[in-house]
Amino acid sequence: MNGLRAAWLFAAKDLRTELRSGGRLAAMSAFVVLAAFLFAVSLDRTQVSGRSVAAGLLWLTILFAATTGAGRAFDAEEEDGAFRHVLASPASREAVFAGKAAANWVLASAVTVLAFLAIVAFLGVPATGPLAWHGAVLLPGTIGLAAVGTFFGRVSSHSALGDTLLPVLSFPLLAPVLFFGSTASARVFLGRPWLEIAGPARLLWAFALGSLAAGAVLFRHATDD
Amino acid sequence: MGSDYGPTRALDGVDLVVSGGEALAVFGPNGAGKTTLLRVLGGERTPDRGCVLWGGAPVDRAGKEWRARSGLVSHRTGLYSRMTVVENLRFFAGLHGLAPDREALAGALARVGAERTADVQVRLLSRGQRQRVALARLLLHDPRAVFLDEPFTGLDPIGAEALETALRDLLRRGRVVVLATHDIARGLALAGRFVVLRAGRVEDAGVADPAQAGRVAASLGVPAVAEAAA
Repeated sequence: MNGLRAAWLFAAKDLRTELRSGGRLAAMSAFVVLAAFLFAVSLDRTQVSGRSVAAGLLWLTILFAATTGAGRAFDAEEEDGAFRHVLASPASREAVFAGKAAANWVLASAVTVLAFLAIVAFLGVPATGPLAWHGAVLLPGTIGLAAVGTFFGRVSSHSALGDTLLPVLSFPLLAPVLFFGSTASARVFLGRPWLEIAGPARLLWAFALGSLAAGAVLFRHATDD
Repeated sequence: MGSDYGPTRALDGVDLVVSGGEALAVFGPNGAGKTTLLRVLGGERTPDRGCVLWGGAPVDRAGKEWRARSGLVSHRTGLYSRMTVVENLRFFAGLHGLAPDREALAGALARVGAERTADVQVRLLSRGQRQRVALARLLLHDPRAVFLDEPFTGLDPIGAEALETALRDLLRRGRVVVLATHDIARGLALAGRFVVLRAGRVEDAGVADPAQAGRVAASLGVPAVAEAAA
């Protein structure tokens, strides 16, 4: 079984079922729009400029939305024991992880775009800096969130504590993503040169690739009985 | 072989041989170790003591070859409810490296009497229909060894008959079948041999024959079934 093909099958399956049910995407989207709106109406803009808080709000919103999505990523797998049959198939655990992480990343990316637009619109923040620079920061950040969320989503779905375990396990690990992500995004919002952004962006890429590799290797242990 | 869950010995000193074309019925009360035995045999779980041999060679639990050669049917159908039957079959066949065309899928569904369900989302099917689809999934990759965990649960008589027919067909083609069930009569009718597990140990074993129903029921401590069988 070709690993890439298995990963593609899994990602396509997850996205197809998500498009049909819409549950996760709707929950994540509702959260980001509501969060941006509430911040916008509660922020005293005479004291604090929207631009100075936009990056922090953006990353916090993405973190919570992605965690919400990851927490439910294994619901369908456990619903009628489908995951047992997946694990009994020749598909490698690494491919299964990659497929699920890819589907989670697509959903996290969609929500990230929505969060970005909502924050820019509600806070009245001009999207200073090229959009490509925002993308260069958000892309590795969402990959890292998806990889960590997928791994711990499986761990928590298999535990008696369920979804409550997911933030406990994943938030400490995701602290670097939040820190470097919000630092880099703040500099993009403030119109700083790329040289000031490249450092944290590179660290985000390192985290993304590292968490993907670690997740793929460790996923086997998260799927053992 | 043996297998533990923490301090609990789920399987202890179990030693079984199953030949090609033979079905082994595994009986036992809840918690006897039936499901654990199937998990170990199917490569889902590593035995803590001993090993599983296939053709004399140890099964590599991590190896794709064993998982490609074995198949599972359990009381949980393992289908995705938001996908249609055909989408489910294509997905699982894909995980086995297969790309069956519509005709092959229809053929597998026809063999279990579920051809009309092809384009229906699984969540709209009855329990019995789902179990037939699960059986069709098994037939697609034609496993050499089949492990069944309470497969008759929730099946209507027609579905149960379709399952029996499919299993007899697998046995005719030399496949190994291990069937864990509470249904003594059906298990004895299908299998060539039986074992009774209790607390992870083999308590009784013998040649499967409907006439042995009383003996098995007595081993399980279910007198009502023993009397009915007698």
